[in-house]
Amino acid sequence: MKKTLIALALSAASVHALAIQPNSDWTDVLKEAQGQTVYFNAWGGSDRINQYIDWVGEQVLAEYGVKLEHVKIGDIAEIVTQIESAKAVGKDQDGNVDLMWINGENFANMKSNELLFGDFANHLPNAAFVADKPSIAYDFSVPVEGLEAPWGGAQLVFMHDSERLPNPPKSADALLAHLKDGGRFAYPAPPAFHGTTFVKQVLSEVTQQPEALLKPVDQADFDAVTAPLWAYLDEMHPLLRGNGKVWPASGEETRQLMDDGEVDISISFNPNEASAAVREGQLADATRTYIFEGGTVGNTHFVSIPYNAKAAAGAMVVANFMLSPDAQARKADPEFWGDPTVLDLAKLEGTQKTRFDQIDLGPWALPIEELANTRGEPHASWTGALEAAWAERYAQ
Amino acid sequence: MGRALRSVSLAVIAVAFGLPLVMGVLGTLGTAIGWFPNSLPGLTVLSDPRLFAATRLTLFTGLMATALALGLCILTLMVFWGRGSLKRIQQALAPFLAVPHAALAVGLVFVLAPSGWLARLVTLEGRPSEAWIVPDPAGWSLILGLALKEFPFLLMTALAYLPRLNPDEFLRQGRVLGYRASQCWVRLILPNLLQSMRLPVAVVLAYNLSVVDMAIILGPGQPPTLAVWVIEYFVQPGGRAQASVAALWLLLVMAVGFLIANEIYRMCGHVTREFRTDSQRKPPRPGWGHAGRAGVMGLLGLATLALVSLWIFSFSHRWRFPDALPERWTLRFWQGRWDDWAPLVENTLSLGMASALLALLAAVIWLEAERAGRIPRFDGLWYLPLFIPQACVLLGWQAGALVGGVDGAWGTLVWAHWVYALPYVLLVLAPAWRSLDVGYERQARLLGASPWGSLIRVRMPLLLRPLLIGWAVAMAVSIAQYLPTLLLGAGRYPTLTTELVTSFGGVDRRVIGTLASLQMLLPWLVFAIALALPAWVFRNRRHA
Repeated sequence: MKKTLIALALSAASVHALAIQPNSDWTDVLKEAQGQTVYFNAWGGSDRINQYIDWVGEQVLAEYGVKLEHVKIGDIAEIVTQIESAKAVGKDQDGNVDLMWINGENFANMKSNELLFGDFANHLPNAAFVADKPSIAYDFSVPVEGLEAPWGGAQLVFMHDSERLPNPPKSADALLAHLKDGGRFAYPAPPAFHGTTFVKQVLSEVTQQPEALLKPVDQADFDAVTAPLWAYLDEMHPLLRGNGKVWPASGEETRQLMDDGEVDISISFNPNEASAAVREGQLADATRTYIFEGGTVGNTHFVSIPYNAKAAAGAMVVANFMLSPDAQARKADPEFWGDPTVLDLAKLEGTQKTRFDQIDLGPWALPIEELANTRGEPHASWTGALEAAWAERYAQ
Repeated sequence: MGRALRSVSLAVIAVAFGLPLVMGVLGTLGTAIGWFPNSLPGLTVLSDPRLFAATRLTLFTGLMATALALGLCILTLMVFWGRGSLKRIQQALAPFLAVPHAALAVGLVFVLAPSGWLARLVTLEGRPSEAWIVPDPAGWSLILGLALKEFPFLLMTALAYLPRLNPDEFLRQGRVLGYRASQCWVRLILPNLLQSMRLPVAVVLAYNLSVVDMAIILGPGQPPTLAVWVIEYFVQPGGRAQASVAALWLLLVMAVGFLIANEIYRMCGHVTREFRTDSQRKPPRPGWGHAGRAGVMGLLGLATLALVSLWIFSFSHRWRFPDALPERWTLRFWQGRWDDWAPLVENTLSLGMASALLALLAAVIWLEAERAGRIPRFDGLWYLPLFIPQACVLLGWQAGALVGGVDGAWGTLVWAHWVYALPYVLLVLAPAWRSLDVGYERQARLLGASPWGSLIRVRMPLLLRPLLIGWAVAMAVSIAQYLPTLLLGAGRYPTLTTELVTSFGGVDRRVIGTLASLQMLLPWLVFAIALALPAWVFRNRRHA
């Protein structure tokens, strides 16, 4: 009797879960989502971000009757492993995770192991507003294909003190010339994230074979592709603060060094970092943010739904709300979070657009229109290869 | 105390103390050769291109810092001996003993950097110099930081040993025979002093070769020192086997470091003996003493400036080069952030309290058993945790905790802090415990007190001062623990020390200054209590 009941319950649950497909009609999704609890597994290390997610929860509960539970985690890779194990033991329904914050290697892993729900992202009503950019269509050069919905952007930016350095160098070559003229600069040693990103930026500017970066690294002639990078760095390192022997530990440290006057330019991956830092008393009022003329490396972070999610409909409703002009505008406001939007402002109208216009980034952040000038990340496999080659050459 | 109870307590202490060391080293060894689940052979770590540079850097900074700390200690003795200021220096050094390494390191970076406080005090406008950089590529910043932190410890031990060596008598005789005071020191006093200080110097050397938190903050970074290198692998996903091999390499390099140090020590002995046969007498050179005193005071001033700078930062809103002081002040890092600091302070204090009380209890049981003749004196044994690098022990210990399902548990952390606090408690408590006149207790027993009663009502009150100092030292050791808290705590029990080291990589000097201020404030408070309490308890007794 007990067994029958369990079987019944299980089949009911599976029928339930099967009821919603990634491309189901949106009214069905909304109906199904009503009353569901969505477990959103996302990094919980920042107060501001946690508070923003709380706000999202209040909104979706009021508007759609979806209860959002933020499961605060340290590293999403652990969750990927957890879902992998679930698939290995055949727990294909009623998984613990409904929605997850993800990108890069973890997405590539889940996609190749078929751990994702399907092409839901292109069927969200608010997908119509999403910007048409390679850095959104490809996640570290892996095609997204609707398996994850874009949430926010990040882009390599530079900060400078406009009183001390009115005309900052706007390309890798100009930066080298600036150093030869006695300018001061340092980048964090890879594998520090900002350091690796800076190396990728230089590589994408100086290499003769930029198309090789979009494919896995083992399909490329690594030495030939990267030779101009090493030539550039060999020339640059003796001119750096620390002469290529001592390195800042992080992007944040370059910001502090810039404020101290030990370097002219600092590196960040958040175009709005300067706004917050100036208001906080950590940078001078004359600080400005800029990018290189040929664009800088950028990537997108996404939310996605695991294949065995219990509340897939609710997760889709939350993902759709996260893409709404309201939610995106609040997220882009440094008052709340300051994370760049993934929407194309040209696709918005009326009040949708004025919300963005009202955001006060101050004169310190990167102007929003410059965000479009993005270079895609090299394929995920390049990261490790570049870091190892860098250590081989420069960390002895 | 009942015989059974006593044996049980002794067994518990021995196992709790010895188990992690055995488990740690075996676990590390085992992981290295691939016993532990899903580890790849870790030997690839030995082909890390940074291996040679990191090894060289570790030996250089570790040996050099030890030599500098010892040299500073000897210099202080030679130039201040017989002066009232030695007492004052001794008092001034007490707070430095209690200051955690990380706090001093953070302060030194800020004071010495080209854009740092010293430069700000002398610069009126313009940009910071490009002539030097902190941390520097050769490791001198780390050497200076370690030497400044370890020198008070060596000086305190030296001052404890010296009375037995009778330096005043040697100095008087030497002077009568027409030798300069420095000649008397080098030829007559130092050879004996160095000999009796072998153990404390070895403790300092072991620490300097395997330190993690100070090396992260003051070391050159790339290549890292070997201890930092081990941790780098450990925190990488799947890097456990490599980290274990790296830890064994560190152990090997430490052995080499000890051999080199031993050789240098032996050569110093030779040289002083050579001096002794040279009977040439020289007239006193007065300038030398002044220069020496100025040098010692200068370095103490530097360390003080480093600590003061942290306090200033904790109250500053904005302090830009080249202003000598902040342009805007604020209380918000003390008031507004209390929600963030409170759990850190709570974890730090609860771990410190529990491990310090347990260490005190264990030490008392052990010393009592020793006094009753049930166990021989095992002095060398207690120093063991101070000689095996934490990185080596903790890798295996953490693996054991994972298997036992107790990683990230509060009790596991208390255990680890206890193991590292106990040696210091015994160091402080043992001499006083052993030398107390047994007549007091004999009297008590004659008056009908039980062994328990005489221990609790006679011996312990008489030894209240050393007991409280032992407690304070144990608290200070626990408060400063970085690696055990990080590796065994699974991030569940962040303390002021782990948070300080983490925050150094990123955020904000004002936040760092506040955390470091809190981190040095706690041990100071604990020592203040330890010193004030006996005075209050004994306020009505004249003899104590």
